Amino acid sequence: MEERILEFIGDLRRAEMRISTSEALDALAAAAEIGLTDRDTFRTTLATTLVKEARDLETVDRLFNLYFLDLQALGEGVKKALGPEDPRVHEMLDRLVDEENLQLDELTELLMRGQGSEMEMAIRAGGQHAGLERLMYFLQVGYFSRRIADQFDWTAIEQDVERIMALLEARGLDPGQLARIRNYLELRLEAFRRMIRQHVERELERRAYRAGERLTREVLSEKPLFALTPDEVAQMRGVVARLARRIKDALALRQRQEQRGRLDTRRTIRRSLSYGGVPMEVFLRRRHRDKPKLVTICDVSDSVRNASRFMLQLVWSLQECFSRVRSYVFVSEIAEVTQAFRETQVERAIEWALKGAPVDYHCRSDFGYAFSRFAHTELESLDRKTTILVLGDARNNYNDPQAWALRLIRERVKGIIWLNPEGQWGWGIGDSVMPLYAPACDIVRECRTIGQLGEVVDNLVHRWWRRGH
Amino acid sequence: MFESVEEVQQRFRGAHYIASRRIATVVFLAARMGRPVLVEGPAGVGKTELAKTLSEVTARPLIRMQCYEGLDEGKALYEWKYAKQLLYTQLLRDRIGELIADAPSLPEAVSRIAGQDDAFFSYRFLSPRPLLQAIRSDDPVVLLVDEIDKAEPEFEAFLLEVLSDFQVSIPELGTVKARHVPLVVLTSNNARELSDGLKRRCLHLFIDFPAPGDELEIIRLKVPEIPERLARAVVAAVQKIRTLDLRKPPSVSESIDWARSLVILNAQALDPALMESTLTLLVKYEKDLERVKAGLDKILAEVPS
Repeated sequence: MEERILEFIGDLRRAEMRISTSEALDALAAAAEIGLTDRDTFRTTLATTLVKEARDLETVDRLFNLYFLDLQALGEGVKKALGPEDPRVHEMLDRLVDEENLQLDELTELLMRGQGSEMEMAIRAGGQHAGLERLMYFLQVGYFSRRIADQFDWTAIEQDVERIMALLEARGLDPGQLARIRNYLELRLEAFRRMIRQHVERELERRAYRAGERLTREVLSEKPLFALTPDEVAQMRGVVARLARRIKDALALRQRQEQRGRLDTRRTIRRSLSYGGVPMEVFLRRRHRDKPKLVTICDVSDSVRNASRFMLQLVWSLQECFSRVRSYVFVSEIAEVTQAFRETQVERAIEWALKGAPVDYHCRSDFGYAFSRFAHTELESLDRKTTILVLGDARNNYNDPQAWALRLIRERVKGIIWLNPEGQWGWGIGDSVMPLYAPACDIVRECRTIGQLGEVVDNLVHRWWRRGH
Repeated sequence: MFESVEEVQQRFRGAHYIASRRIATVVFLAARMGRPVLVEGPAGVGKTELAKTLSEVTARPLIRMQCYEGLDEGKALYEWKYAKQLLYTQLLRDRIGELIADAPSLPEAVSRIAGQDDAFFSYRFLSPRPLLQAIRSDDPVVLLVDEIDKAEPEFEAFLLEVLSDFQVSIPELGTVKARHVPLVVLTSNNARELSDGLKRRCLHLFIDFPAPGDELEIIRLKVPEIPERLARAVVAAVQKIRTLDLRKPPSVSESIDWARSLVILNAQALDPALMESTLTLLVKYEKDLERVKAGLDKILAEVPS
C-alpha cells in the first residue's frame, strides 16, 4: 500500500508537480486514517495532501485513474473486449475439465474462466518481471508488450487447447460445435494479447504523462517565430501562458524584499505623544514603488506578426505587473488597440489587433511614418514612468527612417526597449535601419524565439524597473 | 471529534451546510491529523462559512482573524498595553521609590527594580490578539484566518511558524504552548501566490461552484419557503449564467439572495420581465449585466417551467 502511494507520487513528480517529502509523509498518514474503503475518498485524500494548486487537480485525477485502476470498470471493459460470453460453451468446457480431471496451464485456466480483473493482475505481475520501469517512449510499446507476452507459456496454452479439442472430438461433438468452441478460445487468447498491449500503453501514459507536450514545448521555444505553422501558433498560446505564470510567480516572491522602509517621522512622533514624548512605537514609511506604465508598439506586417502576437499576449497576461498598459499597432499607419484588451479576452483582442484594427494591413511597413505620427499625437501622454516596448524588424522598405521622431519620444519617457525578431546578423543589411534607431533605444534585443521573448520580458519585469530610476 | 467522513457530512447538513464528499473528507482528515486546511475557490462559495459551520458542529468557539494589507504581529499575536504600564509606574512611583530607597549602590538599585519585572511584564499588561487567544484558550477552538492572500508574505512566514508548532514565544514571558491544537481554516481568493511553505503545511481544499443537485439542496435549506418549481428554475438559470463569459459569475451567496428576493416578490416562475428587474442581485458589473440580458432568452429556454 505505502509502496503504491510512493510510486504514484513518483508519477506526479514526473508530470512536473513539486511534491515535498513532508507532503508525501502526510499523504501516507492520511491514507492510513482513511483506509481503502472508498475510491473517491481515497483520491480526495491523496489530492488534498499532495496537490496545492487548483490547476493541478486535473492532472492528479487523470494519473490517479491510470495508476489506481478502477478494477471494476476495467473488468466491464474487458468483458466487452472478450466478446459476448457463450454460457453453453463455458459450461461445456467446465464440465469437461471436471470430468476428465485435466491438468491445465495456469494461463489456460485464466483464459477459460478468468475475470478481467484477474487477467489484469496477471499482466501486471508479468510487467514487473519484464522491466517495465524502463518504458519511456511510444516506440517501446511493442517491445515491452512482447516481453510481457513472453512471460506466459504460449506453447503450453496451445497444447492445452489442442488437448481440449481432441477430447471434445472424441466425445463426438459435431464439427459446427467444435468450430464454435475453438473460435471462442481463440478469441479469448486474442483479447488477452490485446490487453497486454493496452496495459503497456496505459503504463506509458502514466510514466510519461504529457511528456510529449513537454517536448513540443521545448522544441517550440527554440523555433524561430516566423517559421511557426498555424497549428503551432495555437499550441504556443499555452506555452506563453505558462511563461507568463512563471514570471508572475517569481514576482510574488520578490515582493518580500521590498517591504522595508525609512523612518516615518511624522507618525512616530505623533504616536510618541501618548507616551510622554518617548517614541515607544516606531513607524516605517513603506517605500512606495510606482508600478511602471508600459506602451507597446508592434509592427503587425506579415513578416513579424507571430512575434507581435506573443509579445502582446505576454504583456497583457502580465498586466497586473504594470499600472497601465497601452498598445499600438502599425504597418505604416499607427492605431491604438488598448480598448480591445479592456473589453474582450486577451486572445480575442490580439486576433482583432492583428487583423481588424483600423490600419491598412496590405501596405509596406514604414517605421518612420509610424513613429512620426506617434510622436505627433501621443507625445503629450508620455511621461517619465512610461517605458516603450517596440517590436519590429526595422525593415523600412527604403522609406525615410525619421529617426528624429524616436529620439524625440525617448526624451519624454523612461526608456525604449526594442525587440527585433530578426537575427542580429541581418541588422543594417538591405532595407534594415536598425542601426539608425538603436542609439535612441536603451536596450535592443534579438527576439527570434519564444524563449528569447520570455527572457526579455522576464528581465523587463524583474530588473529594468528595479534599477534606481 | 468525527468518527467517519459520513458523520462529517451528516453533522454539517444538520448545521445547514451542504458539504460535498470532498469537503467532508478534507475536514475529517484535518480534524484527525490536526492539520490546518487551506481553502481556495471563487468568492462566495462558502469558504468562510465552512469554518463557521465547523465551529458550530464541534461546539468550539470561533476565533476569526481577518487579514488585510499591513497586518502585523502586533495586531495578530499580542501587544503590550504600554499606556497602562506607564500609568501604573506613575501611580506606583512612591512604592518604587521605597523599594530602592535604602539601596547602597546604583547596581543594587537596578537589580532590585529588575527583580520586579514580573509585576509589569505579565499577562495583566498583555492584550492578546486572535492568534494568541487561539493558542492560550482553555477550551479547544476553531481559528479562521480569513483571506490570507491579502496579508503580506512576511506575515505568512510568521503564521507558518505559529502553525507548525502551535507555540509562540513572548520574550518577557517565555514560550506559550497551545493546550489544545486548534482547528485552523485558512481561506484565500488567490489574489497572489501563497508561499510553498505554507501550502506544504496545510491540507488543500478547492471549493468550486456547486453541482446543480447540491445547489438545489442549498437553496432549499437556506430559503425553505421557496416553491420547489421556482427553486429548480433558479438553480438552472444560475448554472446557465455561470457558463457565460462573465467578469464575476454569480456565486452561491448570490443565488441565495436572488432566491430570497424572488420569494419576497411572491414569484411562482421565472419570466423575462422578472429576471430583468432582479438581475442586479445576481451580477454586479455593468458589462456582465448587458451580457446576461442579451442572452436572457437562451437562459430561460433551459429553465424548466
